[in-house]
Amino acid sequence: MQQINKNFFQLFGIAEIFEVDQESLAEKYRGLQVEVHPDQFANAPESEKLRAVQLSSYLNEAYGTLKAPLKRAAYLLSLHDLNVEQVDQAELGMELLVEQIQLREFLEELPEDESALAELESLKSEVFRKLEQRQQSFSSNLEISDLIAAKKNFNEMQFLSKLLKEIESGEEKRMGY
Amino acid sequence: MALLKISEPGGRPAAPAHSLAVGIDLGTTNSLVACSCGGSVQILPDHAKHELLPSVVHYREGQAPLVGEQAKAAALVDPGNTIASVKRLLGMSAAEISSMDRVGRYRLDATRDAGAPAILTAAGPKDPVQVSADILGVLVERAEGCLRGKLEGAVVTVPAYFNDAQRQQTRDAARLAGLNVLRLLNEPTAAAVAYGLDSQDQGNVVVFDLGGGTFDVSLLSMQKGVFEVLATGGDTALGGDDFDHVLADWIASRAELDKPLDALSHGALMHYANEVKHSLSSDETVALSYADWSAQLDRQQFADLCKDLITRTLNTCRRVLRDAALTLDAIDNIVLVGGVTRMPIIREAVADFFGKPPLTNIDPDKVVAIGAGIQADVLIGNKSADNFLLLDVNPLSLGIETMGELTEKIIPRNTTVPVTRAQEFTTFKDSQTAMTLHVVQGERELVSDCRSLARFELRGIPPMVAGAAKVRVTFQVDADGLLSVMAEELSTSKTAQIQVKPSYGLNAGSIEQMLKASHEHAESDMELRTLKEAQLEAAQLIDAITTASEVDGKLLEEHDSQRIAAGIARLEEAVAEENSVRIHELTEQLNRISSDFAARRMDLHIGKALRGESIDDAEHPAESSESP
Repeated sequence: MQQINKNFFQLFGIAEIFEVDQESLAEKYRGLQVEVHPDQFANAPESEKLRAVQLSSYLNEAYGTLKAPLKRAAYLLSLHDLNVEQVDQAELGMELLVEQIQLREFLEELPEDESALAELESLKSEVFRKLEQRQQSFSSNLEISDLIAAKKNFNEMQFLSKLLKEIESGEEKRMGY
Repeated sequence: MALLKISEPGGRPAAPAHSLAVGIDLGTTNSLVACSCGGSVQILPDHAKHELLPSVVHYREGQAPLVGEQAKAAALVDPGNTIASVKRLLGMSAAEISSMDRVGRYRLDATRDAGAPAILTAAGPKDPVQVSADILGVLVERAEGCLRGKLEGAVVTVPAYFNDAQRQQTRDAARLAGLNVLRLLNEPTAAAVAYGLDSQDQGNVVVFDLGGGTFDVSLLSMQKGVFEVLATGGDTALGGDDFDHVLADWIASRAELDKPLDALSHGALMHYANEVKHSLSSDETVALSYADWSAQLDRQQFADLCKDLITRTLNTCRRVLRDAALTLDAIDNIVLVGGVTRMPIIREAVADFFGKPPLTNIDPDKVVAIGAGIQADVLIGNKSADNFLLLDVNPLSLGIETMGELTEKIIPRNTTVPVTRAQEFTTFKDSQTAMTLHVVQGERELVSDCRSLARFELRGIPPMVAGAAKVRVTFQVDADGLLSVMAEELSTSKTAQIQVKPSYGLNAGSIEQMLKASHEHAESDMELRTLKEAQLEAAQLIDAITTASEVDGKLLEEHDSQRIAAGIARLEEAVAEENSVRIHELTEQLNRISSDFAARRMDLHIGKALRGESIDDAEHPAESSESP
């Protein structure tokens, strides 16, 4: 399989920074997909269809990565040769761990019925606000190439995103679906 | 195989004057076929002007099966030899069919593998693929009669929520009916296409598709002719039939009918319940009378009886909205699909939930076939595909079994297809030389709660300490939503590859055999048709390669071009000898020989965009942001 030697940012012709204009990204994605999607080769020889699947897959992967803030952040770090899978306990810092434990305890202690919905909603906006702050810091860290701080902010973003998901599934359980 | 040649990659194929391609909605209750003629898409009727073909097949000894209205009538007198709602049986094991068949109507063939069940009928054992193919065969005949020509391709729709096994079997049924499947298209996407091209809508659309036996919700974003599915969800075991069952159970308990009912009385009761359901769509109140029992039922009572079913549909809507990260106010339109959505109790529930009335100007029974007809017309090359594209998602997560019988997801649900994703695994014992890969589909953590798609083995891993070997497993889902899996040991490049076939279903060999058998028995000129197709396919390939070499010969090394020339010569010989099997083999071979050349050409032409050359380089100071 022949590789495509453009990274995800280069593919869309955009700067390798955290801030990405989603609307223009989506438009470029659709334009490129119109050119390479296998449906455009429905009657072409097998080999061309196969290549279209490869190109279209790569494009989907790129778009899926740049669209989602957390995936985009991880990808940016990987472009700087940082391994995002590896997390050092010391890297996280006590402060974050304590904060996380507290938030989680609070979540677990909420009553298991609809009476907890208001609390969940306010917790959700609090976590969301924190997440946005971390994203902004991450973006500025990268701008000045402070990769250590960027990685730390990334770890925090990961924690907060996971927590958001748990809050949402807690909401759903209490609403009965 | 359709007869188009690529004159220039990336450009549109140079199509012959007009190729016959149809869209087929293979439904649980009814099936339809649609074709684009003269700018608009028509549902093709039978001789009696009926557009809907009931998806019911009645088997008789020594005679061709009855399909449609006649079979439906036969269901009342001979239920055991009449198969209805076969779509619900696709991809199922013997045990699953037995548990669904509540009244023991079907006898299963005991000699068959439990994974590939068949129902015993007067015409012999029939599996769901064969039954579906019999329905498709009638639609093909109808279309070829209406259009006065051979079909060159078809788009067949499937519920978005169909798993890999169900998709494979649908495609197998279409092949068995002699169809060239251009694409399996998700039903909700087809419905959105039908509406989208009428009104040139932009925005977010929810497709609420409640069919006879399946329920799907899809959320699509429509922008300038590109239909992007953002999320999809559904329930393969919820449909209009369930409303009939609720009503039938209620009548049975009120009328104090003997339990359990035999197949004949059950059939009669279901028929009656279905009639009552339809009456409630036009009348507020219906007078019931069954055997010596009578009563009144109004719409509100009916809605109360069906409350759980309706709640299930709305909860699916909620999940889909959440998966797409959209709120209710971001939804611009709601499209209703499936005859069941004519029920006022459904329309009201949907309007209440979304806070706006759903679109209903296209007949909900026909909207899917119409969309499929449009897509077929585009794929066969009759209609320009510029700025018309469907971007679909895989509806269920695909993963692999890991230690502790847990599922490791490799492609999560709602990922846009096509998609290729790889993950690395390692050995857990010292000197382990083989690894079994178990491919599963579903959302649950435990392997036993997911559907098993395939098992295969990678052998010949060099003995190493536990954890040292690196096995890369690659999943690829194509635009039809079908999966192939490849495993590779990275230090030795040992590979194992599999096109996932359903565990519950037919293998490629038995499909070939069935195809052969059907060819032998068919009165039609299948063999000749196969030869003609093979010859035309070969001619098309030779033509494409010759043209390509003229344009891009510089991409070829001397020995490559010699190999290709030799491949063409061999194929031309086989074409002259009129041996379809040989032609087919050599076409495949030539395809393989020229695949590198094709890839290089694709990269040169369309790939330009992917290499960034079509985008103004001055626009992005990409390199400057790299770390110093």
